[in-house]
Amino acid sequence: MIDDATLSMLKKKAQWFDIIEVSGFSEPVSFKNSRIHSIQHKKNLGYGVRVNVGGKTGFSHTNDIAGLSRAAHRALELAPFGDPENFDLPQNGEAPWSPFNPAIDGYSLSGELVKGESVIDSLKGEFPGAVVDIGISSSVSAARLVNSRGFDQSYQSSHYSAGVSLTYIFPDGSKVDIWEGLSSQKPEGLEEPAARVREKLLNAMKTVSCGRGTVPVIFTPRAFSRLIGILLTGLNGRSIHKKISPFAEKLGERLFNPSLTITDDPTLRNSPFSYPFDDEGTAAQRKNLVEDGSVASFITDLKYASLLGLPPTGNGTRGYSTLPSPSFTNVLVKEGSAPSGSMIEGMKSGILVDQFIGLGQSNTLTGDFSGILDLAYRIDGGAIAGRVKDCMITDNLFTMLAGDFTLSSDRHQAGSFYAPYALFPSLNFSC
Amino acid sequence: MTILTKELTDRARQALGMPDCQYAEIRISSGISTIISLSGDEIESMSSGESMGGSVRVLAKGAWGFVSFNDFNEMEWSARRARELALAVTAREKSSVTRSNPRIQEFATDVKRDFADVPLEEKYLLIKKYNDILKSSRKIQTTRALYRDLQSEYAYLNSEGVDFRYRKSFSGVSLTSIARDGAAIQPFHESIAGYGGFEIVQGHEATAEFVAKTATDLLDAGTPEGGKYRIIADQKLAGVFIHEAFGHLSEADFVHENKPMRDIMVIGKSFGPPELNVIDDGTLRDHTGYIPFDDEGTTPSQTFLIREGVLSGRLHSRETAAKMNEPATGNARAISVFTQPIVRMTNTYIGNGPHTRGELFGSMDDGIYAIDVIGGQTNLEMFTFTCGYGYEIKGGKKGRMFKDIVLSGNVFTTMKNIMMIGDDGKMFGGLGGCGKGGQSPLPVSFGGPHIMIKDVLIGGKE
Repeated sequence: MIDDATLSMLKKKAQWFDIIEVSGFSEPVSFKNSRIHSIQHKKNLGYGVRVNVGGKTGFSHTNDIAGLSRAAHRALELAPFGDPENFDLPQNGEAPWSPFNPAIDGYSLSGELVKGESVIDSLKGEFPGAVVDIGISSSVSAARLVNSRGFDQSYQSSHYSAGVSLTYIFPDGSKVDIWEGLSSQKPEGLEEPAARVREKLLNAMKTVSCGRGTVPVIFTPRAFSRLIGILLTGLNGRSIHKKISPFAEKLGERLFNPSLTITDDPTLRNSPFSYPFDDEGTAAQRKNLVEDGSVASFITDLKYASLLGLPPTGNGTRGYSTLPSPSFTNVLVKEGSAPSGSMIEGMKSGILVDQFIGLGQSNTLTGDFSGILDLAYRIDGGAIAGRVKDCMITDNLFTMLAGDFTLSSDRHQAGSFYAPYALFPSLNFSC
Repeated sequence: MTILTKELTDRARQALGMPDCQYAEIRISSGISTIISLSGDEIESMSSGESMGGSVRVLAKGAWGFVSFNDFNEMEWSARRARELALAVTAREKSSVTRSNPRIQEFATDVKRDFADVPLEEKYLLIKKYNDILKSSRKIQTTRALYRDLQSEYAYLNSEGVDFRYRKSFSGVSLTSIARDGAAIQPFHESIAGYGGFEIVQGHEATAEFVAKTATDLLDAGTPEGGKYRIIADQKLAGVFIHEAFGHLSEADFVHENKPMRDIMVIGKSFGPPELNVIDDGTLRDHTGYIPFDDEGTTPSQTFLIREGVLSGRLHSRETAAKMNEPATGNARAISVFTQPIVRMTNTYIGNGPHTRGELFGSMDDGIYAIDVIGGQTNLEMFTFTCGYGYEIKGGKKGRMFKDIVLSGNVFTTMKNIMMIGDDGKMFGGLGGCGKGGQSPLPVSFGGPHIMIKDVLIGGKE
């Protein structure tokens, strides 16, 4: 509980402060090795206290329901060691909306057990050798933020997520792992992810050889999202301030092909990744990060906005146990004009990439990446010929996105990303 | 001050006495930590925090129920709820666990200088000193110097009469320099961590100097051409390779209900040259993978995963051990009391071979000396690692420095391609750790001697 005694103590001793209270519970159901394995009930609550004394900031946290006052005192002790910080906390605003769907109450353990078992039955029925794991979870959480300028708001959020993963081992000992999932504010059916898993496995049943050199490559929305994730690192106000982003001082410059527009949007009402205000109280806002190929904005929290002389974008997010830091919410990559089906049909010979392993472990600050293709297919004459294995794409993402590419007219959800398929005419491919 | 009072553990023992349960356990802990994070000329965060709570796990009618809580008043309710959840399921195939014997024991980290007695200012000045070294070169754009200490008490009790306590003290520093020259941006990083007091984090000035120098040197390094190479892996890369590429395959939760995988991971099958020994050992107190007991109350053991080139063991929880009719190895670990234990590694390494380092380098005319690791991933059949840096070896001589060396290949083929194993084994840990099943980072260590491998695929333009 955020108690009055702690609030008045902080008002006396701190120049400013904010307290975040996060609580929630979830009931995850997990199927392992094609059978129910465990049901969990998880409950948590915690407080984070940030205080500024004489211009310097200290922070402490606790998950003891009676521990707020202790945490506040620890934060005050730490403050003298902090850096000077100079920004204003938000004032109280209108009552917020909630990224919450009451249909989350329809989550029932027995219902989810039936859903999971029916997916397992149907996949195992068709592929007896497959091993299926399913994780389903529903969580309801609440966030409350109180600060020294009178801000006191809270909201509820609901999040349903499910993942179906399948492992299939071929007679020669080689194997394929396929994963499909969904995220929503309310319980959903598992038919769609299960159908996608099935389709991908059918396509991967045959392994085909592949050449090396430069080839045309289509990335699925999921694979393309992973690549866009590398680009986003450089659009974070934190990397801009530290001058480790290639995009510092490039605001407004056209660095990419004009067909590239990327938007960060925490205001999408139906997404479980949305919020009415960020974890410092700044109102959520939709903004283009890349607009028609130009660098349009960097995401910030209060600290990095003040350091960079930019407006706060409402991207300061945290749990109760850490200080805020800028992070992305729903990321939308603008669609193109070609249906993905016709992109594949129009490809004489090339590669379709769906899952990487090892992406992002290279020196990604410069756009260089190197990804083993965990799940990828060779396309011959406009159709999937089979799976390619032990292959790798090594290229520079920024060069790729500055050059020619085609985006599909259909977009698909991949975690918190909504992205199209992307076709690059010539990438460096090794086997 | 202890939070885990006798009254609380008595209540826990009481709560475990439920009908119709094959097995039940309660884990409770309380801890406090300090984090100081510096970056360039800035103090990113000065923070401290406490975390307390626990969980109950119940096996009933072959299925698991698990409930976590952060309010100790809810412990009894949580135990009843965990049992209800387990009984809510009609398991088609039933889980069971190997039995444990009743045992009561207390463990504690040996501490020379208790963190509670170190003034905050001294912790700050220590990490500031390292940070000053990290940014000492003109070409360093920014740095990150992280200090972390953690003291916790942990109680593990189960329905079979196991009652363990562990007073743990852990700390480490993570040191990064990011060098920049025009458009070229080059990070380099080292981390040191261990169980003990403040002495663990003192005296690492040389490491900070090495980090700053290597980041700067790498600005001018080239990248190797793509293709197949003979390589010598240093001790750290050898360790990460064996952890990522083979260690995860030895985790029995993946194998135990997976017939095709069981057919591959057959005890007695050859996986490498006769010089090759691979060991997981949670009893090694000086390394970050050390555990006095695992999160199912099993004491750790030295497990040979490969002995003389032949598969000879695997890592078990009590559930996978029961399923495969093998002994539990003490490898069921959870990242905190709020999560369920799963099969994990501890300290995993390649045992020393017969060759000196000189013999290894003397036997390689052309190839790459690959050192350190930035990141690595595996899908259990294929692996990929990016080395920190490396050198071209030409005509037996060390040549140009390389960066961005991405190694990949098939795990089984690559293990068979190990040509020579050195005798200079070394272990590595740090503040990072291993990730699996959403539980990351779990403290582990890894290592080995220098090893020579043929036909390793290196990514890049040809």
